[in-house]
Amino acid sequence: MIESVTIDLRINGEVHSLEVETKRTLLEVLRQDLLLTGTKRGCNQGVCGACSILVDGNSIRSCLSLAVAMQGRDIVTIEGLSNGALLDRVQRAFLDAGAIQCGFCMPGMIISAKGLLNRNPRPSREEIRNALGNNICRCSGYVKVIDAVHRAATT
Amino acid sequence: MKYLEPETVDEAIAALASADDARCLAGGATLVAMLNAELVDPEVLVGLRKIHALRGIHRTANGILIGAMTTHNEIAADDRLVGALAMVRSAAGQIAHDAIRYVGTIGGSIAHADPSADWPAAITAADASIEMASSSGTRSLSVDEFFLGYLQTAAQPGEIVTAVNIPSGPENSRGYYLKFSRVDGDYATVSIALVLAMKGTRCDYIRFAAGACGPRPLRVAAAEDRLLGTELTAEDIAAAGELLAAEADPVTDVRGSAEYRRLLIPRLLKRAITLVNQLPHD
Amino acid sequence: MYTDDIVVPRMLYGAVLGSDYAHARILSYDTTAAEALPGVKVVLTGAKLDGKLYGKCIEDEPILATGKVRYVGEPVAAVAAVDRATAKQALQLIEIQYEELPAVFDAEEALAADAPPIHEDRMRYGGRVPPLDNPNLASSTGFQEGDVEAAWAQCDVIVEDTYETPAQQHMYLEPCSTLAVYDRAADQLTLWTATQGVFIVQYAIAKWLGLPMSKVRVIAPYIGGAFGGKGGLTNQPIAAALAVAAAAPVKLTYSREDDMTMMKSRHPSRIYMRTGAKQDGTLVAREARIYLNTGAYADEGPFVNAIAAGFSRGPYRIPNFKTEAWCVYTNRLKAGGMRGFGVPQANYASELQLDAIANKLGLDPIELRMKNALVTGDKFLGGQNVDHGTVIGCLEAVRQASNWETRRAKRAVQPGKRRGIGVASAAHVCAMNGAGATIKLNEDGTLTVNTGAVDVGQGSDTALSQLAAGVLGVSLDQIKYAAPDTDFSPYNHQTGGSRTTYTVGVAVERASEHARDQIFEHAGEMLECSVDDLELRPGGLVGVKGVPAKQLPFTAIAKRALFNVGGPIMGTANWVYEAEKFDPKRTLTAGFAPNAVGVFYFAALVVEVDVDEATGKVEIVEAWSAHDVGRAINPGAVAGQIQGGLVQGFGLALIEELLWDEGRLVNPSMMDYKVPGAMDVPYEIHAIILEDPEKTGPFGARGVGEIPVNLAAPAICNAIEDAIGAKLTTIPATGERVLRAML
Repeated sequence: MIESVTIDLRINGEVHSLEVETKRTLLEVLRQDLLLTGTKRGCNQGVCGACSILVDGNSIRSCLSLAVAMQGRDIVTIEGLSNGALLDRVQRAFLDAGAIQCGFCMPGMIISAKGLLNRNPRPSREEIRNALGNNICRCSGYVKVIDAVHRAATT
Repeated sequence: MKYLEPETVDEAIAALASADDARCLAGGATLVAMLNAELVDPEVLVGLRKIHALRGIHRTANGILIGAMTTHNEIAADDRLVGALAMVRSAAGQIAHDAIRYVGTIGGSIAHADPSADWPAAITAADASIEMASSSGTRSLSVDEFFLGYLQTAAQPGEIVTAVNIPSGPENSRGYYLKFSRVDGDYATVSIALVLAMKGTRCDYIRFAAGACGPRPLRVAAAEDRLLGTELTAEDIAAAGELLAAEADPVTDVRGSAEYRRLLIPRLLKRAITLVNQLPHD
Repeated sequence: MYTDDIVVPRMLYGAVLGSDYAHARILSYDTTAAEALPGVKVVLTGAKLDGKLYGKCIEDEPILATGKVRYVGEPVAAVAAVDRATAKQALQLIEIQYEELPAVFDAEEALAADAPPIHEDRMRYGGRVPPLDNPNLASSTGFQEGDVEAAWAQCDVIVEDTYETPAQQHMYLEPCSTLAVYDRAADQLTLWTATQGVFIVQYAIAKWLGLPMSKVRVIAPYIGGAFGGKGGLTNQPIAAALAVAAAAPVKLTYSREDDMTMMKSRHPSRIYMRTGAKQDGTLVAREARIYLNTGAYADEGPFVNAIAAGFSRGPYRIPNFKTEAWCVYTNRLKAGGMRGFGVPQANYASELQLDAIANKLGLDPIELRMKNALVTGDKFLGGQNVDHGTVIGCLEAVRQASNWETRRAKRAVQPGKRRGIGVASAAHVCAMNGAGATIKLNEDGTLTVNTGAVDVGQGSDTALSQLAAGVLGVSLDQIKYAAPDTDFSPYNHQTGGSRTTYTVGVAVERASEHARDQIFEHAGEMLECSVDDLELRPGGLVGVKGVPAKQLPFTAIAKRALFNVGGPIMGTANWVYEAEKFDPKRTLTAGFAPNAVGVFYFAALVVEVDVDEATGKVEIVEAWSAHDVGRAINPGAVAGQIQGGLVQGFGLALIEELLWDEGRLVNPSMMDYKVPGAMDVPYEIHAIILEDPEKTGPFGARGVGEIPVNLAAPAICNAIEDAIGAKLTTIPATGERVLRAML
C-alpha cells in the first residue's frame, strides 16, 4: 500500500506543507513537488554528490534522505544561496575561476564547498580537495574547482 | 510503507512488532539506497532519529559506550578516543565520505553487517560487545556471537542494536585502522583494524581483524598468538600474516579479486603494525 | 535548465525494460497486465513498431528489440505512465518468452567460423558500410605504406606485444534524457533532449518514424556532459515512439543503471603491434592488428575503427607501415564514440612501443620521440600534409616544465613507494563535416549568433561568441548565442571530433565578416566615404580612419537597415570541411576508410607516479601537458579541457573498466564503476598552452578536446614501467595488475 503523509519541510527558510508518499526521497520531493530543480540526480545512491544539499549547515545527499524523516531540519538548496540576482560569494568565485563546464555537478559542488567553509573558513587547497573528494565532476579535472573554493575563502 | 518515529526504545520495539516486514531506519545511508534500488520493500519503517537514549558517547568504567544512533562524524570528532580507541576514531573518520559520515550511524552499520564496511572489523579488533533490546529484555553479545555471516547477525526479528560497548584496552595500547581501497571514499578492498600494546620491545597485547576478506570480520587468534611476546620482527609479522590470510574467504568483486585480497592481507598487516608502532603514546 | 528539469502539462514518464539474455529469440510478449495497471497509458514492444532499423554506419539497430535480443539490457519494451513509479511497476508486469541462443563476447572469437551470427540479416541492412563476408565483422580498415615485410630485416631492434584496453564508460553526470512532445493534430513532434547534435537527431527520428523533417523539431537545453556518449541517438527514439503512441508528452530520463546498461561505452580493444627501429632510434617499420569490440550494434564503430587504424602510426614518421583494424559484433552493450574515438586505444599501444624501443636502445624516451616526430611538411598516414608539425615543441615544453632530466637522474623516494616518470605524445584532428552560422544585428546594436552547435560543457557557446565579438570589436556581453534549435538554427553536424572551435568557428568568423561588410556598406553611405576608409572601433562603432570624430554606433546602422535601406543586417556563412584525400600512390587503403577528417593537432604529456610497493596502487604525483591549440580563444576553457580530459584519461589508465560476467554487466552503477574524484588525481596538473597559429583556423585556432585522453594512459604506463621495471600492457593498471607485474 502506498502511504501518503502530510509533512512540513523547512527549505531555504520557508516552510512547505506537503503530502508525500513515505518512500520518496527528499531529492524527488525537491525536484518534482517543489520544482526546485537546481538539485540534480546523477546516481541515486549517494556516490556522485550532484544531489547535495545543506542540512543544519552540513552537505548531505538528498537522494539518501527520506522526505518524511527530514521534518524539523533546516534545509538549504542551491536556490537558497543566491539572493534574487545577487550571487553567493562561492557561486561568484566558481564563475570567476572558470570552474564551470557542463555545470551539472556544480550545484552539489558549490553546496559542499559551502558546507566546508561553514566549518573551516580558511581551508588549504589540500583540505578543499579532501572535502570535495566525493563530489564527482567529469568535466573539469578538479583543478579550477579547487581554485574556486580557495578564491571564495580568501576574497 | 508506513513510517513511524517513536521516541523511546520501547516504542520502537513495539513499532517493529506491528508488522512481519518491519525495518529500522537509522541514518538511511544504506537503507534509503536499498529502497531506491527496490532491494527492500518494508511494510513498516521505524525511524529511530527521535530516540535520544540511542545517542551519545559515554565513558564507562573500562571504556566507552556509543549509542547506536551516534553518527560516524560524531565518533570521528571525539578527541577523548585515544590509545586503542584511536583506532575506533580513525575507522569512523574513514567511512565513505563526509556526507555519509554526517548521517550514517554505528548501529545502522553494525546491524547491516556488510563485511566490506568499516565498523564490523573495527569493533572486532576492539573486542567490543553489542547491546541489544527486544520485547524480551536486553542482552549483550560479543562480536563473535553477533556477526554470523554476510549481512547476517544474531539480532532476532524485533530486536534492535542499542549501543556498542568498547573497552579502552590495556594501558599504553595504541590503535590503527588501515583502509585500502580503489579510490577515495570507496568500500575497502582490504582493511586492517589493529590494537597493540608493547612492553619494552615485546608485544604485550595484540588484536587485529581484517575487513572485506570474508563474510564476517576476519580474526584469527593463532595469528595474534604468533606475535604475542615477540619483538614483531619482519619474520614474525610475515608468519602471522600467513596465518591470517590462510583463514580468509574473500570474494572476487569489482574492488578486487579473492587472490589479490589474500596477497594484500599479510602486506597490509605489516604496514599497519609498522605504522601503529610509529604513533606517539598518548 | 537541463532536460529532466523541464516540465510540461500532462507530461507522462517513460520507463524501459531491458533484456535478460545476451542472445535470444523473442518468442512472445504478454503486455496485458502492464496495460491494465492504473496510470499506464502506453506499452510498446518491438512487435508494435514497424521494425525499421537505424545506424550511422550500418542500419542495424531497432528502436526496441525486434525478433531477437542481442545483449543483456537491450531495450525490449517501454512504458509511459502518469509517474515514474507506476511506469517502473508496469515493467515488472510485462512477460516475454525467449529462446536462448549461443552468445559470443570476445571480438576474435566472434570472427571464428563457428561463432553464432549476431546479425543474420546483415546482407540486407542499409547504411554506408557494405556487408562483408563474415556477418559478425561490422567493418574493417587497412592502411599500408612502404614495404613492411622487407623492412624488418633493416631493423636493429624489434619490439612486439599485445595490448588490451577496456570498455570505458562516459559517465557524464547527467544521465540520458529526452522530453518528447507530440501534437497529434499538427502531426508535429518536438524533442528537448541531451544531445551533441540536434540535426542528427532530427534527421534520424524523422526517418525512423516516417515523418518529414519539417514535422520534427529538436532543441538542446543545457547538456550535463557528453564525451561522445550523447552523439547520434540515445533514448530519443523510444521517447518519441512513446509520445506518438500516447499523443501526450513523455519524459524519459534514464536512471544511472539504465544509462550504463542501455547506452554505450568506449570500444574495448585488443591490439597486436610490432615496431622496428635502427640502432640510432630511427623508426623503420610498424605493423598493427587492431580488434575493436563494437558490441551488439555498430553505432559509430566503423568510424572509430578507421580512426584507430589511421592513428596507429602515432605522430611519427615510420616509412614502412601496415595496419589492419576490425570492428566486430559481439553480444555485449554496443560501443560507440567516446572522447578520443579510437586514438586512446591505438596511441596506448603505439606509445608503449616507443618506450620499449627507447629502453632496448638505451635512449631517452623524449629524445627518441623527437627524433621521429612529424614536422611541418611531413605527411601523416594517408599522405595528408602536416601543416603545423609541433610535436617537438610540445615535447620540449613538457621536458622543460617537468625538469625531465633531473627527475630521471634521481627519483624522489617516498617510503614504501617507487617513483617513476613517463612521457607520451599524440596527434588528433579537429575539423569535420559542415557548419553554418548566422549573425544578426539587433536594433540596439547587440548581435545574435546562431549556429546550432551544442555546448556540452566544453565552452563553445563562449568561444564562438568571442569569435564574433572579436571580428566586430564588441564586448562579449553584446553577443547573444542562440540555443540550438532545428527550427531556427542553420546547421551543425554535431559537437564531437574536437571540431567545434575550428569548423563552426570558421563559419562564425565568416558570418561575422559578412555582417561587418554590410555594416560598412551602410556606414560608407551614412558617413559619405569609401568602405576602404572605414574601421571598427571598440564597443560597436564604425568610424572613418584617422578622423576620431566621424563615427556611428551600430544601433544607428541597424535602424537605417531595418526601416529605411536594405533590410535587416544578417551575416551568413556556410561551409563543409573538405579533407585532403588519401594519396593512393603513397598509401594502400582497404575497407571502410572515410577521409573526411583533418587539421592535425599535437600534444605531449609527462607524468610522475608513485607505485605502492605493498598494494600496487598507482598514485599520480604530478602532470605536465603541452598542447598546440593554434590560438587559445579562451585560455581558461582550453586549460579546463586539458585538465578534464587528462583526468578522464587517468581514469582509463588506472581505474575504469566495465566488467562483464559472461553477458551481464557486473558494475553498471557509480558505486561499482568508479571515476576519479578530486582525491584520486593531483591538483598539480599543469596545462601548457602553445600557439602556432592555424593558417586556416578562426583567429588561428585549432581544437583541443580529445587529445588529452590520447596521452594519459600511455604516459602513465610508461611511468609505471620506469618505477617498477615491468610493462603494463593491459589497462586499467589497477593495483592488482600492477602488483602482479611486480611479483
